[in-house]
Amino acid sequence: MIGVNDRIIPWQPTVIAGPKQAMLVTPETAVMMIKKAKRPLMVVGPLAKRQPVLEHTVKIIRHWDLPVVSTADTYRALKEAGVESEPHGIVEITNLLKDPNWEGLRGEGQHDLVIFIGCIYYIASQGLSTLKHFAPHIRTLTICKTFHSNADASFPNMDDDEWFRYLEKMYTD
Amino acid sequence: MDVAPESKKAKNLKGDFWDLKNIQISIGEIISEEKPQEEEVRGPKPRPHVTDLRSWDMKLLERYEPFYAPFCDMCCLCTYGKCDLLGKKGACGIDAATQQARIVLLACLIGTAAHAGHARHLVDHLIEKLGEDYEIDLGMNVDIEAPITRTVMGRRPRTLGDLREVMDYAEEQTSHLLSACHTGQEGDSRDFESKAFHAGLMDDLVREVADIAQIVALDLPKGDEDAPLVELGFGTIDSEKPVILCIGHNVLPGADIVDYVTERELEDEIEVCGICCAAIDVTRYSEAAKVVGPLSKQLRFIRSGVADVIVVDEQCVRTDVLEEALKNRSAVIATTDKMCLGLTDLTDEDPDKIVNDLINGNIEGALILDPEKVGEVAVKTAMKLAPLRKSLKKLPEVDEIIQMASECTDCGWCQRVCPNSLPVMDAVKSAAEGDLSKLEEMALEELCYTCGRCEQECERNIPIVSMVTKAGERRVKDEKYKIRAGRGPAQDVEIRRVGAPIVLGDIPGVVAFVGCSNYPEGGKDVALMAKEFLERNYIVVTTGCGAMSIGEYRDEDGKTLYEKYGGQFDAKGLVNMGSCVSNAHISGAAIKIANIFAQKPLEGNFEEIADYILNRVGACGVAWGAYSQKAAAIATGVNRWGIPVVLGPHGSKYRRLFLGRADDEDKWKLNDLRTGEVIDGEPAPEHLLYAAENREEATVMVAKLCIRPTDTPKGRQMKLSNYIDLHKKYFGTIPDDIDRFIRTEKDIPIVYKRDIMKILEEKNWKPKKLPKEPSLLER
Repeated sequence: MIGVNDRIIPWQPTVIAGPKQAMLVTPETAVMMIKKAKRPLMVVGPLAKRQPVLEHTVKIIRHWDLPVVSTADTYRALKEAGVESEPHGIVEITNLLKDPNWEGLRGEGQHDLVIFIGCIYYIASQGLSTLKHFAPHIRTLTICKTFHSNADASFPNMDDDEWFRYLEKMYTD
Repeated sequence: MDVAPESKKAKNLKGDFWDLKNIQISIGEIISEEKPQEEEVRGPKPRPHVTDLRSWDMKLLERYEPFYAPFCDMCCLCTYGKCDLLGKKGACGIDAATQQARIVLLACLIGTAAHAGHARHLVDHLIEKLGEDYEIDLGMNVDIEAPITRTVMGRRPRTLGDLREVMDYAEEQTSHLLSACHTGQEGDSRDFESKAFHAGLMDDLVREVADIAQIVALDLPKGDEDAPLVELGFGTIDSEKPVILCIGHNVLPGADIVDYVTERELEDEIEVCGICCAAIDVTRYSEAAKVVGPLSKQLRFIRSGVADVIVVDEQCVRTDVLEEALKNRSAVIATTDKMCLGLTDLTDEDPDKIVNDLINGNIEGALILDPEKVGEVAVKTAMKLAPLRKSLKKLPEVDEIIQMASECTDCGWCQRVCPNSLPVMDAVKSAAEGDLSKLEEMALEELCYTCGRCEQECERNIPIVSMVTKAGERRVKDEKYKIRAGRGPAQDVEIRRVGAPIVLGDIPGVVAFVGCSNYPEGGKDVALMAKEFLERNYIVVTTGCGAMSIGEYRDEDGKTLYEKYGGQFDAKGLVNMGSCVSNAHISGAAIKIANIFAQKPLEGNFEEIADYILNRVGACGVAWGAYSQKAAAIATGVNRWGIPVVLGPHGSKYRRLFLGRADDEDKWKLNDLRTGEVIDGEPAPEHLLYAAENREEATVMVAKLCIRPTDTPKGRQMKLSNYIDLHKKYFGTIPDDIDRFIRTEKDIPIVYKRDIMKILEEKNWKPKKLPKEPSLLER
């Protein structure tokens, strides 16, 4: 149902904020961004509680040994899947990321790459806008199945099957 | 003290309103049941200009820094053309943060102006009708009739004429604030926020004026905890009768419709119902009126064709109401200068001629600015039009829906533009195969709040909202609920009863459900949150669309929460204060606690009262649905009084939050006014304006945001028990930040003592000193 031209229009088209749009990335490029980052962070939202998204998410976290923030009530689902995370509201973690002096989740300093998955689209879009404007020290990457124009880099809009193939490549390649 | 040049003039109180004789004050014997003494008390800042309260605002903003989430990267306000503010300044010199703050101020001012225009309209009309000396009397149980007005203006309003002078002040301040939004004026985001706080305060003031005016002049319930249970829901409307539907926020036309019906003894022959706050206020006026539901019911109900006459007043009305009404030949009457809809002004026309022209279709609708004439025309039109419209009181047939759905091209844009990304296309495709269940599911519990965006986007013009409405039709008959009519303010005696338990923490909090009905996952979530806190001994207050959404839920016993819980302002009370303007009584209750329980003088004493509320009154607002600029103004006003607010995820689109940093201990230092010491405080309340992603997160956050530095150990134990219980329920664990809220071991809830002690040891916790009189102000 998603045409080629629709892949890089924001999933909710009215969130377009201005001339700058996210770079469209493949899983391979996303992996490169993680490899290049010194202190990456994974932010997992409540839409990632369902399977098989959760399973993919857990495998990505483990493969890259990512520190994890869970937003909304996602903490419980991650814990039951064997992943420790730090619960914060999406606006709270965004606020912390905004501060260049925040010590980061592991106390090693502010993160330089934040990877989002499973946050509710419109509030995630707002949070990404905050980081775009007020956190130039951070690169943002979204690996949801929806194109987030306010991120620095985003997967395109796609259906579930293609998305799961994308996610699989994030921990197998 | 910051004082603007205007302040001196403003404090030069003149006019008969400020007659210094017989002024009642409310300190001294407040604890007793006697009336306050009649003497003047002047606080430091009566009738404050924005800069008078700037120092307080900066204290709040230091602790709760503005968090901006730009909706748009550009400024589009001036004719230099659009400026891209991403990483650069605009041509006028403005940066992104300052621009966001400016837009927030504008939004707050729009909201304030909506309430102020409404209040001015009410006050002027009622003065014309009853005279400016008409007394403000809220009955035996409400001596402090106008806590916001007293605190801000420095005086008690005694008559409707006095309220007009409050309006003069608020309108003057609003004009100053709006001027600051002009290009090339304010250039600092925090100063814009200070001005937004002031706009919010003006909003508080005019809302109080509006509700007091309508309570006293129309004899609405005066703090009545036993206000009647009235009918709510689509299914309560008898479509066999002529139906008049009022939409909006101004009670006057609705009240005159009720009067006309009553005078002619037509009560059993006609249905008068309403959507949005007009509905709530008309049921405060007459319990025979019915509430269809919150604003989200508009398109759905109009499309159903049930309403013969649609009377619109102002605020939150669909601007395409005329176009939609014409599809079903419903007659539209516009009634205020705020919303004329292009209709001819027929205020001076003969009523019977207007009725005939409406029935014959000679005119599309009528603008009638005299509420009494609206009453006559609406009733006569409905009575004559109803028999002619019988065939139009229906939605498309199922066969038609299937036919319409078969036009779908599978483009998917309906669900991409849906604010909640509902599976609209999937539902339409299923309908094309004869399965309407997915459409029906969207109709239930307001998952679809009928904004109509899907229809705007549909390349085949499929009337999706009508299809959703039809699919939900068989459940319409079940939409019969009860809501308690808006009772108005909390009584002084109730405040006396709960003041100490709230301040000391024995009642774990006052939670206010307000806001608009565009919810992330339906209105049921509001009711579930209200239920959760009622069961946990909180006081739950509500107004407007939030109050209606709470009413549209039945618990496991088949009862609405209004049937299950009383309307008293006390633990386990579900207090519907009324419409959006009645929100003023929520801040008012907090102010009255400072006055009645702690004997803080109100008059001209904003900062001390707000400081008291911030540090001691465990209250938290919840605006789960976010839509209007009025809600932005309300939340900002509430914040300036020191009351935190939790928004739903859509609230992030207000662009600005006030977030605290629990990890920065310096932000939480407190002045102990009793000892003069500066002590380490705690993140209580941790945030001032917060957007939660889902109900579960919000519920836990609300419990946390009710914690205050003055909680006694027993009170803190209760609050922490609720916080921990809810965190365990939704997150599965004891919250990791629990150590921040344990001051001494006496604060630890006994049930969780072992687990918490373990956490405290791991975190190398040390006991803290309890403040005796915590404050952000200097001694």
